Amino acid sequence: MKRILPIMLGATLGLLAATSAFAIERGGAMTFARYDDSTVIDPVYADRNPDLWMVNGLYETLLRNGPDGSIVPGLAEAHEVSADGKTITLTLRSGLKFSDDSELTGADVVFSLDRARNTDLGPWAGLLGAVDKVSADGNKITVSLKNPDPTIISILATFNTGIMPKAAFEKAAGSTDQEKARAFFAAGPVTSGPFVMKSHEQGSSMSFERNPNYWRQGEDGKPLPYLDRVEFLVIPDDATRILKLQAGEVDAAEFIPFARVGELGADPNLKMELFPSTRIVYAPINTRETKKDGAKNPLADAKVRQALNYATDKNVLIKLVTFDTGKPMTSLMSAATQLHYGPAPLYPYDPEKARQLLADAGLSGGFDVNFTTLAGSADDATLFTALQQMWAPLGVNLKVEQVDNPTRGEKNRSGDFDIHTYGWANDVNDPAQVTGWLGYYKQRQAVGTGWNNQEFNTLFEASNVETDPAKRKDEYKRMQEIYAAEAPLLFLFETPFAVAVSKSIEGYVQTPLGANDFSEAWRAD
Amino acid sequence: MPSLSYLVARLLQIIPTFLLVMIFIFLLVRLLPGDPAIAMAEAKATDAQLEQIRHNLGLDQPLPVQFLVFVKNTLTGDLGRSIMLKAPVTDIILSRLPTTIFLALYSVVLAVLLAGPLAFLAASRVNSPVDVAIRGVFQVGLSMPVFYIGLVLLTVLAAQLRWFPVGGYGKTFLANLYHLILPALSVALYTSAIILRNLRASLIEVLDADYVQFARAKGLSPRIIMTRHVLRNALVSTVTLLGLSIGNLMSGTLVTETVFAIPGVGRLMLEAIFARDYPLIQGLTLTFAVLVSVVFLLTDVVQSWLDPRLRQS
Repeated sequence: MKRILPIMLGATLGLLAATSAFAIERGGAMTFARYDDSTVIDPVYADRNPDLWMVNGLYETLLRNGPDGSIVPGLAEAHEVSADGKTITLTLRSGLKFSDDSELTGADVVFSLDRARNTDLGPWAGLLGAVDKVSADGNKITVSLKNPDPTIISILATFNTGIMPKAAFEKAAGSTDQEKARAFFAAGPVTSGPFVMKSHEQGSSMSFERNPNYWRQGEDGKPLPYLDRVEFLVIPDDATRILKLQAGEVDAAEFIPFARVGELGADPNLKMELFPSTRIVYAPINTRETKKDGAKNPLADAKVRQALNYATDKNVLIKLVTFDTGKPMTSLMSAATQLHYGPAPLYPYDPEKARQLLADAGLSGGFDVNFTTLAGSADDATLFTALQQMWAPLGVNLKVEQVDNPTRGEKNRSGDFDIHTYGWANDVNDPAQVTGWLGYYKQRQAVGTGWNNQEFNTLFEASNVETDPAKRKDEYKRMQEIYAAEAPLLFLFETPFAVAVSKSIEGYVQTPLGANDFSEAWRAD
Repeated sequence: MPSLSYLVARLLQIIPTFLLVMIFIFLLVRLLPGDPAIAMAEAKATDAQLEQIRHNLGLDQPLPVQFLVFVKNTLTGDLGRSIMLKAPVTDIILSRLPTTIFLALYSVVLAVLLAGPLAFLAASRVNSPVDVAIRGVFQVGLSMPVFYIGLVLLTVLAAQLRWFPVGGYGKTFLANLYHLILPALSVALYTSAIILRNLRASLIEVLDADYVQFARAKGLSPRIIMTRHVLRNALVSTVTLLGLSIGNLMSGTLVTETVFAIPGVGRLMLEAIFARDYPLIQGLTLTFAVLVSVVFLLTDVVQSWLDPRLRQS
């Protein structure tokens, strides 16, 4: 019986999966309430999350991020990296079409990738910095690199390399690329992704319609997407967005405050989705020997930074701020990031160890620390109050300084802070982006902390040209170990993307990178 | 009616106001720490990229040069391009402005309709239970912040009873009357509380004045006493207050439009400030300055029509 039960369970589950596959219904629309509006959904110019998280709805990439984070075929049905790592050959599927029925060819791919790597245009061109030349011969695309770059395969699955129609774009009015992009998107752009943009009223609403020429097949053997339309409403206020969902006027609402997750999860008409994300909440620590005002900085000593990490009860913070939806950090990067290495939560709560470390650093008499938070952020206020209480017994006197977002950015860049709150989510399905951001001194002084570790920097530079995946993995393991031990951050927690969805909608996904994916969503009623 | 010279003089006063507003707003937004490049790049950009963004936006120019460019462009009707929305500021404001004006007028009309009759009722029965009840209810309206009234109205009337839509904006005039009733009402409740208190007090004062007693003694009909003597005198200070509260209303739209998801200039202002979108902030401030000046001008005109003494000064 003990053995039969799992088999029976498996069979039942299999049957359930099979029936749900058959039950997929096509057609209809869903309405999605957003926290902010898009401005330009151009793969190259998209620079804010509400823009770049929508690009994949309109523009398909050569490769795609699979549900488990691996790279799977997209518009290219196959890809191959040469032995020296300097040439990537991709094979374009046959019969691909844009939404206006024009053929999607190698010329469109060359056009799109050349545009994406043009440093005079968008902010993401640096991601394709290693590319020397892109050429097409029939359905064979060749990407030649100046030097090997292990991230390039992931970049070919990233929104900024979405394939745009060369002919339609060049026909758009205007003399510069910026003007053409504006005219092209204003007119309802020709697309290669699952949807076309039917209308957009800035700050208010946007409408996506099914692209009948999209290449991917649904579970019923017919082309995706299942939905005919997705309507977007922009509702910046959290409470109003939720009310709109509860009143049945929208089918889904994104960015649910964690405080409301429990309540919405109990609503019989709703599903509370907590999508795994690459989002981390952390606090950079100023590690420079002297502070901005010239005073000696106690936080320059790694022991002090470790002590503060040990003195922080992450589980309590996770309960207070994320209402138990978050997870402690196990590395500088989220567990959902490729090449993540972190066997256990970093710096489990241990006030005794913290006290010892501070004594070793000669600071048992206590000291003052400024904590810079976002004004008006309830989460930051909670974090500050909790940390103040946790650290007070050690003699650490935490003082708050409240600023708005651009001011916080300015302070981070000028090194005018002790500790401040920050958040991050990966844009690229590769660890290099987050690792470079948080740890590589030459990029941004290791997220403004001023932490400059030679071994880490050398490893990072080596890993960026490493073609052997096993070696690259080792390099990443070592980097994560160094970073964890040196603690240039207060490691706080990872949070999911919280989206509340009506029970009548199935298959909507927000990816770990934040992208809104409606391609396999369908309406069950 | 006010004379033409009065109107011209009043209009000329607006010019120095605008100049001051332009200088203040130009300097104020630039005194804030953090610039559009930092707000835009959401911190991910490198320092070199930030420099490039600043160069493209002309933010690496000295402040006086930036100011002259701003003044020159404004005089030629060019408010620049929004950094955040990547479109001409004039187009953006013109597309959002009607919504805000509609909302403001709608709530003023509602406020007057609510406060006017009730003030009369209260003033004609001073200290009666009716008067106390009216004042009590509106005192509550006055003491609650607009966003809170808004959320209560939304929760009860929209989400639970489903009489009205939860936020948003319609396409036609009638659809807008329906869509915007809750935001207009939540602003109106606050404004009407102020108007009611003021109108009631001045009605009581005027009703007791010698000339009204005299008019009664003269045997004038109550209707003529009311319209020619009482109302005209009582309204002077209420009109001032109404004008001022329309000015406040413009800033109040910042909150109301965010809570009710209305795509007007108020919400836009909030977003522009957080993005340090200098051209858009400047354009919006000028727009607000124009609107408020126009409202104050109208207030003055109406007042001088109500009260001939004001025409002399």
